[in-house]
Amino acid sequence: MEIIRTEKVEKVYDDNGIPVHAVKGVSMSLAKGDFTVIAGPSGSGKTTLLNLIGALDNPTSGKVFFEGVDLASKSKTELSTLRLKRLGFIFQAYNLIPVLSALENIEFTMMLSGIAESERHDRAIAMMKELGIGELANKRPNEMSGGQQQRVAVARAIVNDPSVVLADEPTANLDSATGSALLDLMQSMNAEREITFVFSSHDPQVIERGKKLLMMKDGAIDREESRDRHN
Amino acid sequence: MMILQLAWRNIWRNTRRSVIILISVTVGIVATVLTDALNRGMVFQMLDNQIGTYVSHIQIHRAGFKDNPIIQNTVPQTIDVDSLIGSVAGIDRFTKRVITFGILSSAKNSSGISIVGIDPEREARVTTIRSSIVQGEYLSGREREIVLGVKLAEKLGVGIGGKVVAMASALDGHIGSDVFRVAGLYESFSSEFDKVFAYIPLTDAQDLVSIGNRVSEYAIILHNREELQRVQATLESDLGDAFEVLTYAEILPLLVMSVEMYDQMMLVFYAIIGIAVIFGIVNTMLMSVFERIREFGVLKAIGMKNRPLFLMIMIEAFYLGAIGTAVGFALSYVLYLPLAQSGVDLSMFSDSLRSFGVGTVIYPVMTAGVVVNALTVIPAVTLLGAIYPAVKAVRLEPMSAIRYV
Repeated sequence: MEIIRTEKVEKVYDDNGIPVHAVKGVSMSLAKGDFTVIAGPSGSGKTTLLNLIGALDNPTSGKVFFEGVDLASKSKTELSTLRLKRLGFIFQAYNLIPVLSALENIEFTMMLSGIAESERHDRAIAMMKELGIGELANKRPNEMSGGQQQRVAVARAIVNDPSVVLADEPTANLDSATGSALLDLMQSMNAEREITFVFSSHDPQVIERGKKLLMMKDGAIDREESRDRHN
Repeated sequence: MMILQLAWRNIWRNTRRSVIILISVTVGIVATVLTDALNRGMVFQMLDNQIGTYVSHIQIHRAGFKDNPIIQNTVPQTIDVDSLIGSVAGIDRFTKRVITFGILSSAKNSSGISIVGIDPEREARVTTIRSSIVQGEYLSGREREIVLGVKLAEKLGVGIGGKVVAMASALDGHIGSDVFRVAGLYESFSSEFDKVFAYIPLTDAQDLVSIGNRVSEYAIILHNREELQRVQATLESDLGDAFEVLTYAEILPLLVMSVEMYDQMMLVFYAIIGIAVIFGIVNTMLMSVFERIREFGVLKAIGMKNRPLFLMIMIEAFYLGAIGTAVGFALSYVLYLPLAQSGVDLSMFSDSLRSFGVGTVIYPVMTAGVVVNALTVIPAVTLLGAIYPAVKAVRLEPMSAIRYV
């Protein structure tokens, strides 16, 4: 089932009066349960494309459809709701809220969704146990390692049962062993919960795990590759 | 609840900055509360001094006396006013006076004055004249004694035991005159009052202006000032149209108006303090917002809507304002309590204060108005000051905010 589709999406930035074509006419689609990697060298437009399909940015032209609905037809508030309830985000720099504990960071998106305190607490605790980070519940981000923070970020991204999790260079700040363990975790979430994952990365170990690979070059999809199983 | 918690923790991210703004709010509150309490005390004292020195709570005259205080306008004798006053509930004590304008002359000088004939014992129970004597003695009951203000005595060049001649227009039109011996000098809260009012025995005044046993004025003190309107209405009803019954508010309209206008004047003062505080809050909150632009981008990216984001920043500002106000008010109260007992000695400004009818020791008064102003104005100002930074945060686009360096 198609969950995300783009039609001739373009994104042009203004860089001190000079137009920069970050994404050029990209048309692609992602199905439910995909584990997709948007790969390419720096400046190829992979993060910009990820932001466009994550409703974080508006295309200069073209259309982005989420579950068949054109994102351009939605108001800013509706896009916020979409990001809150249907999408999960994992950032390169983890971006946890520094004044909240790991448990509170995970609860935060559920709080924004209006889930009752006791329910969100139980769900956050269960999620932390599932991801093997139960002992971090009361730790603040500055008391955790990068790998631990990124696991908490994963928990935050998936605890609201999103359709799609968008991960921008999630392993870039991690050593390879920690990055591999994190990818294992996300692969198992993908397999067990059928959560669609979309990565933007140039990390080889991310690329090799993608069921689907979109290789970008100069703002366009240079190559698209589907794999039957993980390498 | 989580937003409250988050806002609370956010204000302690930069402890030094928050403490500085808290100190500025606290100092602002202490300054406004004590200034407000002191000014209110001063205004109330001006009114109380006027009431206590001469005016009293209610005065009774012949109708028209207030506008035309001539000796012909004595209190009508158609009713036994003494007995009537004694029968009205709420009246504590009263005195009666003869009031006329005249000239007081000594060997060296003369001055236009108000001659007030009083029953010394009754007057001493109604006003502060006896306790205001600073030289010599109060009227003893002997004939032809006079009590003058120190300033008037200086002008006339007389001292205790000195002789002065009082002249005033009598009821039948002739000029009455008599010689008085200075028994005492008084100093009231108002130097202007002291220059004008001279006290002589009631019967001497009645003889001077040839009015028999008639009087110009009754001055009444109530048990409770809140009963003013009721007692006035009762007296008016019982005395009829031939009399005028005036409250101190009608006798001192400018002073009462200034008391009533005081709240409005203090609002201007609060506005000035508020403007000073608001810039501090705007500055602090803007710095706080700019430091967290990436974080706001993340919050918006993960689905935080504008309203809770706006609310969170407003709550942060409110916490700063509320804590500063609570600490400031507590500190003000601790400082206020001893000052309310001992008063604030402003004797270095005694001349100017006495010309306004205020004593040199001011007793601050913390009214409900002071408390309400202190507890509402500054927290409200902090909220106002946070609006602009909060709007800045709300207007951030998630991606540009996340990319912000």
